[in-house]
Amino acid sequence: MTLRFASFALLAALATTGCSKGPKADANAKPATTAAKPEGAGATAAKPEGTGAATAAGQSFGAGVKLPDSTPIATILASPKDFAGKTVRAEGMIVDVCPKRGCWFEMAGPNPGEKLRFKVVDGEMVFPLDAKGKWAVAEGVLSVKDMSLEDSVAYAKYQAEEKGEPFDPASVTAPMSVVRIDGTGALIRDKQ
Amino acid sequence: MSAPASPAASAPDAAPVARPAPAPAKARRACDGIMWRKWFRVLHRDIGYVAVALIIAYGVSGLAVNHIEDWNPSYTFAERGFDIGPLPTGEPAAMADAVIARLHLDRASVRGHFLETARELRVFLTDGQEARLDVTTGKGKLKLVARRPVLFQLNALHLNNLKGAWTYVADVFAVALIFLALTGMTMMKGDRGLFGRGKYFVLAGLAVPVGFIAYVFA
Repeated sequence: MTLRFASFALLAALATTGCSKGPKADANAKPATTAAKPEGAGATAAKPEGTGAATAAGQSFGAGVKLPDSTPIATILASPKDFAGKTVRAEGMIVDVCPKRGCWFEMAGPNPGEKLRFKVVDGEMVFPLDAKGKWAVAEGVLSVKDMSLEDSVAYAKYQAEEKGEPFDPASVTAPMSVVRIDGTGALIRDKQ
Repeated sequence: MSAPASPAASAPDAAPVARPAPAPAKARRACDGIMWRKWFRVLHRDIGYVAVALIIAYGVSGLAVNHIEDWNPSYTFAERGFDIGPLPTGEPAAMADAVIARLHLDRASVRGHFLETARELRVFLTDGQEARLDVTTGKGKLKLVARRPVLFQLNALHLNNLKGAWTYVADVFAVALIFLALTGMTMMKGDRGLFGRGKYFVLAGLAVPVGFIAYVFA
């Protein structure tokens, strides 16, 4: 009988330890989430579901955003090598999210088809699929990778498969250059 | 060599004096290692009860995410074709307005739009859904997304997508699993125990991952 009670007491102590360290963050997150709702994005849009902590300014991921100013996506894409290896902050509407692991998203630039990818290590941050159409402010190191034609085809094929879209190898006619931000932190909010 | 007869054996009248008292016997049993086995058994049983829900949840999610190359374990996707006729030429905002009106979309559910190419317009809706169409023909697809019931939540727990407080809960669970594994080996004694046939099973279980690693990395 003594053992039974002692065992129960030990389990209760373990459970308390497990619960005592974190719930404060969640408790703070709820009012901010509710505050984001009136923007008109709908109930699910305001519900944080990724790895980010919700704040009044939006849902923060990873180390968050520290640089004060954003570089326009069009400027980065116009001469990416000028920014290669540098920490940049960029912002734009999210037009695609990694559908399987939530490990990347793409932000739109002002011109048709202009997109900049924000990539993180799998699991480090997980971006929810319903972030599409929301506004992202993202920060990280810009990377530029020039690929051979063969690698470009393989890359495009992988991207199409990941999105569940059909792929025609003939659609890739020239070597591609992949420009992306290797992310350290991001902030996602309903509107600009 | 036989032991000399004790005074108790030679004097039956003095038996009550020779009978061991309960307390010293308990102490001896503790010294023999019986008490720790009993503790392990009790803790293994009770921690096991507590861990049942999460073990099943993590197991189910593990099966689901193991095959992520073949399916999406968290979301389901569907497409519905439509033809709303050619859109007015001009600003993308005007084209998006036409899409919203012709598809009878709730304006509150529209988040924004993007010209993927000069001809392809995407109108983003809540929940990661979107209408994607050719602006010159008006033909396109409504891409619908839905969370897989239960699995979405289990995967979020298992992959620790939630971070924050759940990280500590998952840490406690991981320690509990290690404890269950170690104490599980002490449940039986003798031929069926760890030092009986148990060691062969433990080695067989170890051989699978070790063999796999050796094969892959050799």
